[in-house]
Amino acid sequence: MIRFFSVILITYSLLTVSCSTKIISNNYYQEQKGTVDSIESHYEKLNAIRPFALAFTDKDLDIVSIEMISDTLTRIFEFGTNEERLKDSLLKYAYDTSGVFYLINKMQQTKITWINSVDYYVNDQPQQLIYLSIKPVTIRYLFSPPKYIALGYFRTAQSFDEKGRLLDNRRTKKIRKIKGQVFYRITDRICYTITDKYR
Amino acid sequence: MYDQEKNNLSIHSRFAFFLFLLLLFISEKLRAEYLFEGITSTKKEAIGFLEKIDQTKESSYWPNVKPKLFYDNLKLNLENPKSFYPGRSTNFCSYGALSYLVMEKDPLGYVKFMNELYDKGEATLNNNRFKPSKEVMQAAGTLKFKGVLDIRHAEQIWFLALADKFKGYLNFFDKKFHEGDENTFWAATNLSKFDRMVKRVCGVHVRAVGSDLIKPWVKDIYSYLEKRIDSNTISLYINNRIIHKKNHDKIKFSIPTHYIILRQISKQDDMITLRYWDYGGETELHISNRTLKKIVFGIITIDK
Repeated sequence: MIRFFSVILITYSLLTVSCSTKIISNNYYQEQKGTVDSIESHYEKLNAIRPFALAFTDKDLDIVSIEMISDTLTRIFEFGTNEERLKDSLLKYAYDTSGVFYLINKMQQTKITWINSVDYYVNDQPQQLIYLSIKPVTIRYLFSPPKYIALGYFRTAQSFDEKGRLLDNRRTKKIRKIKGQVFYRITDRICYTITDKYR
Repeated sequence: MYDQEKNNLSIHSRFAFFLFLLLLFISEKLRAEYLFEGITSTKKEAIGFLEKIDQTKESSYWPNVKPKLFYDNLKLNLENPKSFYPGRSTNFCSYGALSYLVMEKDPLGYVKFMNELYDKGEATLNNNRFKPSKEVMQAAGTLKFKGVLDIRHAEQIWFLALADKFKGYLNFFDKKFHEGDENTFWAATNLSKFDRMVKRVCGVHVRAVGSDLIKPWVKDIYSYLEKRIDSNTISLYINNRIIHKKNHDKIKFSIPTHYIILRQISKQDDMITLRYWDYGGETELHISNRTLKKIVFGIITIDK
């Protein structure tokens, strides 16, 4: 009987442990602040000229999915970062090839898996948020979901509650969720969340 | 004598079978005629109707809907039917695909319906009575952080009303709207629910292959689609997580997640180019034949 209960207890503990992934560094943004901020501002400049989004679809960040966005059409390509076709496609659709390649290299070095610009509205006026996800070093157990650090860069100062949670606006205490996630304050215009999806 | 009776019986059963097929054909034909009756209109008629309406009136049924945003949105839907935007991170994509079909068939029916729904809190579209719940009426106009859907108040009403009206097995445990349910199973659509919605709202015949879990029994999906795309409207039920990967795990549940309207398909060597409509615009995707097989779960062929 005791043996039976021990088996149940061990199985239960294993399952409980297996459900959580641990991020090694809790201070990732502060450690990489300079690089991450420069990637964001570099992307902002390139995106303002010709909108696009970048995502790395493999674990080693060698395959890039690029969304080239125009008013009428979004083109989605997936290439190896060393493939000539990537350069050809960027040239064909008049993107700043060296600028995008610089961004890809920096993203690979900093383990940024996705960068995108997201529009939202305040008082019916359009605003912009740049959203990027980082693949941190984690300890993963069996069946545990992956974890990513998502950063949101707003253009203007945002409101947060006493727990540092992002709010809808100054007048309400309503928590604003982005992609179903609660975001926490880093600075008055940068916030973060831990998520199991990078986009 | 015995052989003669057997022969007669065989002739009778053949005749009965023929009669059955004939009746089936006639009933299908009658149903088709009924479905198509009087549900086509033009964009010009719809704009004419909209111009005669007082566009400043508020509605007590929809307390958070702004009249200007509502009517501007209807105008936009007419001027650019491809602009329907189901919103970021919502489960409204099936209703987006349906909107595309409605606007192709009956733009006047759509604006009349939306205007009545706004004015009276209930309305009928092609014999489908819509009476959205109080929770839905309260929510319309408040959806935020969904991209341009934030300021498209007519589309918010339309998508919420459709999700409130049509239910499938995916909605079984979440039938009543609560805040944030636009992102949950409350708004989800399985393949047979989508077929049903298209049939009932657009009044057209729909033929679907595939299912919610098993891919369609089609040998060559590219040829299948290419053969039908010119004479029909094709909607695909796809696993969008292969195109838009969400994490780097290799083992994933293979399930469909998204509805699109296929606009063009072409092939060069092994590379297939799909051009499709979703989220307010067209997307061009370059994939291999293998990936096409992996992503397609349902092919819905709709009479033009």
